[in-house]
Amino acid sequence: MSGLMEYNGSAIVAMAGENCVGIASDTRHGIRQLQTVSCNRQKTFQVTDQCYVGLSGLATDVQTVSQLLNFRMKLFTLREERKMQPRMIGNMIASMLYEKRFGPYFTEPVVAGLDGEHKPYLCTFDFIGCLSTAEDFVVSGTTAEQLFGVCESFWRPGMNKDELFETLSQCLLSAADRDCLAGWGGVVHIITPDEIITKKLKGRMD
Amino acid sequence: MAAVEEPQDYLDVLQSHRGGFSFENCKRNAYLASQVAIKPPTAMKSGTTICGIQLKDVVILAADTRSTCGPMVADKNCEKLHFIAKNVYCAGAGTAADLQHTTEMMESQMELLRMATGTQPRVCTVVRRLSSMLFKYQGYVGCALVLGGVDVTGPHLFQIYPHGSTDKLPFTSMGSGSLAAMAILEAEYNENLSVEEGKKLVAKAIRAGIFNDLGSGSNVDVCVITKDVGGTILRNFEKPNERKFRAKHAAFPIGTTPIMKQEITKLVSVEEDVVMRD
Amino acid sequence: MAPVANPKTFCLDIKKTNEVLTAPKLMDFRKGTTTLGFVFQGGIIIAVDSRASMGSYIGSATVKKVIEINDFLLGTMAGGAADCSFWERHLNRLCRMHELREKERISVAAASKLLANIFWQYRGQGLSCGTMVAGWDKKGPSLYMVDDNGDRHKGNVFSVGSGSTFAYGVLDTGYSYDLTVEEAVELGRRSIYHATHRDGASGGVVRVYHAGEPSVGRSPVGTWDWKP
Repeated sequence: MSGLMEYNGSAIVAMAGENCVGIASDTRHGIRQLQTVSCNRQKTFQVTDQCYVGLSGLATDVQTVSQLLNFRMKLFTLREERKMQPRMIGNMIASMLYEKRFGPYFTEPVVAGLDGEHKPYLCTFDFIGCLSTAEDFVVSGTTAEQLFGVCESFWRPGMNKDELFETLSQCLLSAADRDCLAGWGGVVHIITPDEIITKKLKGRMD
Repeated sequence: MAAVEEPQDYLDVLQSHRGGFSFENCKRNAYLASQVAIKPPTAMKSGTTICGIQLKDVVILAADTRSTCGPMVADKNCEKLHFIAKNVYCAGAGTAADLQHTTEMMESQMELLRMATGTQPRVCTVVRRLSSMLFKYQGYVGCALVLGGVDVTGPHLFQIYPHGSTDKLPFTSMGSGSLAAMAILEAEYNENLSVEEGKKLVAKAIRAGIFNDLGSGSNVDVCVITKDVGGTILRNFEKPNERKFRAKHAAFPIGTTPIMKQEITKLVSVEEDVVMRD
Repeated sequence: MAPVANPKTFCLDIKKTNEVLTAPKLMDFRKGTTTLGFVFQGGIIIAVDSRASMGSYIGSATVKKVIEINDFLLGTMAGGAADCSFWERHLNRLCRMHELREKERISVAAASKLLANIFWQYRGQGLSCGTMVAGWDKKGPSLYMVDDNGDRHKGNVFSVGSGSTFAYGVLDTGYSYDLTVEEAVELGRRSIYHATHRDGASGGVVRVYHAGEPSVGRSPVGTWDWKP
């Protein structure tokens, strides 16, 4: 990853459970990499009732893309009078990013949601829109390498919403503890068929 | 000369680039890069082994399933065999996003062509369109493809390079593991192989890539394209690298993680009766 | 001197080749730090964080950044860990030699000058050190800041490292020569604490040393972990 991807710092992870899915992000906003300027930056965005998008990377592009997504979602609902399924959102983001193949947004999104049959859907993208789906977990941000490590060992199939929350948050916190550029608190969203549980995590503040 | 219309608002901007690449961020990105003084970020690549063989009346393609991002394995089981038409498939190596979107674009073009002409698309059509497109982008769209299919003129196997050059071959391999795969193909390829033997051969070639090339790994995907059935992808045809063991530790007890605030949003389903008025 | 065409740029060249070849960030070990030291009526306070980072990766959260040079001298490290610990260990040897030759303990001024002279000799060749040398001698407590340029400054309040600006903010606000020992320890702790919050490259635990008359403590007066 380049300097621009590491300019603000971020850690995003999403995991699938049994009929539920969760997405977690840290809350740090840094500038020039190491200087922390805020501890409550939003990096996960609700795009439909049961679908969240996490955006890592350059903060200015995170905000632009989130607003662009919001715009597209609203336009879609107006035109089609229905909700987008997570898979569709994934494909839309992929083409939005690939459209800018030669002048990209420096953000790597993560999509986590439940589809019509309450089945988890997870996917990530690189910054030019290569979509890759996963059955278990997806990660993104400056902490990606650490997150891959912890998730590989702590993720297990068939977690319920409470187990999913614990695993997700422990993975996020332990990974962020090994990254200078992410941490300073965290947010976890657990999406179940009939509710969205949002919890703010107590994390190390250094 | 026609006057250039200035976009008025965001909708116009959106409308003005429907389709095709948008270069609106280029100036900004060049500026940012000069400010931060860095190399451009690396996109997801598939440091890949892909190969294909052409037999009497069948074409077989195969690929590994590792996608990498620098030294990191970004996806352990990705799909590198792409559907283009019922009778044409391709295996891709290079920049992952380019491969995904180029093949999807070709898929839709071929479907439109099929509907317009009412005939099955030919392999040479796909090759021509791909190579023209890649040539147009001067190699900046990083697709190295092994493309195979069976049409009215029989089975065909092509390879296409990112700059747009093409070759028609009886057997071929591409990607970072191409040398390892080619070694196997050169030694054992024979045009009289049966389909089963052919599948075994391509799998062996890919395995050579998986084990001898660091950029390739995980499983073997195979695609068999015949005249009668069209193409069928045998996903994870071989799994030589399954995870050997997993720690059997207990789950985190509920309440392990300290939280500061909790919000629960209940989702209710609203059913609306639509009353039709006359 | 390194046996290469251009010994002056040896370290930079190595770094360049490593970036391209096998080990990017190999030469970036431990760059971010917050350390501080100040002189007050009860002696000297030295406070440091404990994070070791390689690029943005946190290599360790429990590094000891105060080097106990001998019973009367403390050194801190910021910059390259190996550079600091090696040269301060070397300084320990030089100080002991001085004691044996002169039958008298070395002054803090002389000890820090020895270190500064070494850094001056290797100036521009890639050493990376920002250290403070603090201790007691015949004249009382004194504190010096020595860096890899060969700079050497005597002073009452210093902070070194990437988080130093943040630490200075707290330190300057609360500093007074007349602080009690408890107040001084708390000021040192709080300065580092706030620096670790704002600076991504500083963190872990806060270690505080109090060097009071007649000798320097060889163990910290306190180590405080971050409370999540």
